[in-house]
Amino acid sequence: MVHRRSVSALASLVLAGTLAACGSGTSDTSEDATPDGPVDLRMTVWTADEGHLGLFQEIADAYVADHPDEVSSVTFETIPFEDYTTTLTTQLAGGNTPDLAWVFESNAPEFVSSGALAEIGGTLEATDGYEYEDLLGSALDLWSNDDGLYAYPFSNSPFVMFVNTDRIAEAGQTQPSELHAGGEWTYDSARDISAATVEDLGGAGLVVRDFDYTAWSNLASVWGAWGAQPWSADGTTCEFDSPEMVDALSWFHDAVYTQGAIPGPGTAADFFSGDTTMTITQISRASALDGSFEWDIVPLPTGPAGQPGVIGQAGIGVLANGENPGAAANFLAHFTNPENASQLSQYFPPPRTSLLTTESLAEGNPAFDERQLEIVVEAIDGAATKPSHVNYAQVDTATRSALDALWTETGDAAAVATEVCAAIDPLLQD
Amino acid sequence: MTSVPTLPARRRTMRWRDRDALYGYLFSAPAVLGSLAFVIAPLIAVVWYSLHEWNVLANTFTFIGGENYTRMLTDAALHDSLWASLWFSLGVLVLNMTLALALAVLLNQHLPGTTLFRVLFFSPVVVSLVAWTIVWGFLLQADNGVNAFLAALGVTGPNWLRGSVTAMIAVVVVQVFKNVGLNMVLFLAALQGVPEDIGEAARLDGAGAWRRFTSITLPMISPTMLLVGILTLVGSLETFALIDVLTDGGPGTSTTVLVFYLYRQAFEFNQFGYASAIAVLLFVIVLALTLLQWQTRKKWVFHES
Amino acid sequence: MSPDQLTKPPTAQPSPGARRPVGRHSPRPRRGKRPPRAEHLGRAALVFLMVLLAVPFVFPTWWMASSSLKTTSEILRIPPTVWAESPTLAPYRDVFTLQPFAQQYMNSLYIAVAVTIGTIAVAALAGYAFARIRFPGANALFVIVLIGMLVPSEVTIVPLFRMVNTLGLIDTHWPLIVIPVLGAPSVLATFIMRQFFITFPGELEEAGRMDGLTRFGIFARIAFPLARSAVAAVAIFTFLKSWNLYLEPIVYLSSKENFTLPQALTQYVDAYGGPIWNVQLAATTLTVIPVLIVFVIAQRQFIQGLANTGLKG
Repeated sequence: MVHRRSVSALASLVLAGTLAACGSGTSDTSEDATPDGPVDLRMTVWTADEGHLGLFQEIADAYVADHPDEVSSVTFETIPFEDYTTTLTTQLAGGNTPDLAWVFESNAPEFVSSGALAEIGGTLEATDGYEYEDLLGSALDLWSNDDGLYAYPFSNSPFVMFVNTDRIAEAGQTQPSELHAGGEWTYDSARDISAATVEDLGGAGLVVRDFDYTAWSNLASVWGAWGAQPWSADGTTCEFDSPEMVDALSWFHDAVYTQGAIPGPGTAADFFSGDTTMTITQISRASALDGSFEWDIVPLPTGPAGQPGVIGQAGIGVLANGENPGAAANFLAHFTNPENASQLSQYFPPPRTSLLTTESLAEGNPAFDERQLEIVVEAIDGAATKPSHVNYAQVDTATRSALDALWTETGDAAAVATEVCAAIDPLLQD
Repeated sequence: MTSVPTLPARRRTMRWRDRDALYGYLFSAPAVLGSLAFVIAPLIAVVWYSLHEWNVLANTFTFIGGENYTRMLTDAALHDSLWASLWFSLGVLVLNMTLALALAVLLNQHLPGTTLFRVLFFSPVVVSLVAWTIVWGFLLQADNGVNAFLAALGVTGPNWLRGSVTAMIAVVVVQVFKNVGLNMVLFLAALQGVPEDIGEAARLDGAGAWRRFTSITLPMISPTMLLVGILTLVGSLETFALIDVLTDGGPGTSTTVLVFYLYRQAFEFNQFGYASAIAVLLFVIVLALTLLQWQTRKKWVFHES
Repeated sequence: MSPDQLTKPPTAQPSPGARRPVGRHSPRPRRGKRPPRAEHLGRAALVFLMVLLAVPFVFPTWWMASSSLKTTSEILRIPPTVWAESPTLAPYRDVFTLQPFAQQYMNSLYIAVAVTIGTIAVAALAGYAFARIRFPGANALFVIVLIGMLVPSEVTIVPLFRMVNTLGLIDTHWPLIVIPVLGAPSVLATFIMRQFFITFPGELEEAGRMDGLTRFGIFARIAFPLARSAVAAVAIFTFLKSWNLYLEPIVYLSSKENFTLPQALTQYVDAYGGPIWNVQLAATTLTVIPVLIVFVIAQRQFIQGLANTGLKG
């Protein structure tokens, strides 16, 4: 009897499996925005930091207490950074759509244009006391299209240059902060200082952090100073073969292979271990500094076209196919209102003009002094975002493959740039 | 189990047989039904997905028939990944089997410290893949780790992870070092099952050590080699995390093996339909190779009876 | 291949106690006419060869363990330091304060034990049936089961996720226990058990039958108890596989209290996703060492177990 019962249980499992498996991809039904009772909301995030999650939960609990009829609970679900997109996509494919999700900036155009996210600009604007006009227009660009705003860029972290002042002093070079004060802080001077320190002390010179000769979009902080961009603003034409980009890539190539200022591919140099002279990275990385050497930050060096600055962003969106997009958008409006944005700003530089001050950033960035925070605030204003595209994942892969030819002793920027365009032009127009 | 003499006994045997068949079904039911639910049904679902254009983000799921399969014919990146898979799997299969057998033979010599070495060679099997790949990432840099060691010997090592051929060699070797311990233990177990008196007899007949190894030991352990070969091949075709961490499929597309390409299509490009078609292709390849190894076993696998 | 193929003489089956001597204390038969001196040299060379070969196997594990005592900047230093300069146990304390690590350890442990026991039950029954019982369609059913050995988990993760979601079992341990026991991961175990039972002496079964035992009685009282060695091999394989499972927990589980170890290891990151190296490596070391110790203790049993299964042919 036991056998028979377990067999029938298994048979129903098979059936359930087949039904679930053969159900179509569109089985999610969007509930209308005003469900009967209070709902449970779920937001996927990639931070596992206790401080972040504690603050999120605090904000959420206050909201639940104020709106018991609308929301009964908010859960913040941490997915490991490395596996974030895989897991989120599996949840979407499996019909287990979260109500809100953090979105990488490189995925932004794809998420915005695909219809995966719900429009939230209307809800934010209509919320009492939200002060929508306080939001920084340049920060919203990436997350908007003609129909409105699809995600709130809660983190706007500028790229700056971290400098190991010990190494520079030891090699008898001029400190970048002095050069910056004198208006002479250029990529060429950064390269020369780096090359000199390497010659004197060994180790590594200038490291574009996380580039590693694969994540090429991190070079945006370099080519911006040459006035170059990888493709046209509308995303349809490759501009890798523009003279500006070819010059920028040539400069980088020579700094690696001729001057030895930048460690070549296959060398894991890490600024935070103390044997690297300077590194371009986001301010959030300051948490990795452990006081084993003296350091400073300066703005990105300028190049032939000045320095527009670059920020890395992350957004929060409401999933259109979630069960409660209405309630989720209302919660997002609360989560990012002026008061809460001010709280969040201790961890994430907010897109609010009124909060981009040294005082509001000081609390969450104790490693920085007043002067350094000013550099941070200035770096956010007017900065560009890293490259992004509707078809980003494919363009990224194709670009990386084609660019690999440049990272050899004899690599020729002009020839490789032509190859990159040949590889990505069809994808850009897709 | 045959020839039972008396008539009543035979009748009893017949009834026992009938009931026996029922036990056969009952005993195998959990495995068979589990397989239907958690292997066959999902596979059918994947075939079904592969006939669709399915973009998870845009939430589109459109029937397009065999289009995903015809697309494979002209997808140059897919063809690259098939070659990469071929080289990777071939490299892993040959190196893993050879090294595992060599280590097993060494450990079977009753040398001092054998127990210790057995643990050392096996230890990477239980080390987390993440830690393993991080360390090898350090060791395979242009001018450190392995190359620093080579430089001490007066050899200039290549920039392992940045050349297409050396990157392939590197991922093969790192994969083999991680898993060879398991195969080594299997081979060691097989070697210990080879009766010593046969080798001793051959030795007295004047057969050399190599001759004894190739004509006695190898045939005796060939069934193990078959199984280990199949498991290693299937395992190599499923390798993903290691490549993801060490080379991310590069440089160029040189280490983008099929599973990695499948993953990329599904989870990076959001093309679940096409990824499902690649999954079907992967399954067919694994099935074909396994059947091939199994079919050719009669030629080289030795049976005692 | 029919179940009768590969049948060996029953006498070839050693009892679990009778093991071949292993290690340096074993009496080694004198061989050949070569002078002992040359042979000693040759053997010393072989030992030296093993020492050399061991380096690439040992160094990464050593690096992992020693780095867990270092500061982050020292971990990233090139070339790597062999000993920690000023070792500290602080990372080990952080392992437990940053996450409910003990709870996660228990999760991994009980899931792995449940999967191991379940797999042994399913695989032993099925392996026995496919090896010893003649019933119509047995070969076809065996082939159906074997297909599971050929399916990479990436291939079926999406349909399986949909199934688990439909059944409402997301963020529970059920999919991590039930699917490995009944699905693809247990197939290798079934195969090993079948290979073992094929070599099982038929006389013992016949004797059990004469004593009036049912099939189940023969299995439970005679066959299974004698399969200890094969069960040991299956247990170790299965436990390791479950212990190291990575993709599935990440996809199925969402709350920290439910996490398993490989997943928990990814959570030792700073506020911006950068790994806290020393804590992560300390946690990794804590997950590796017990398994290694168990292997050291059980290795002889393990290898004997494998030697006695059908795996050797």
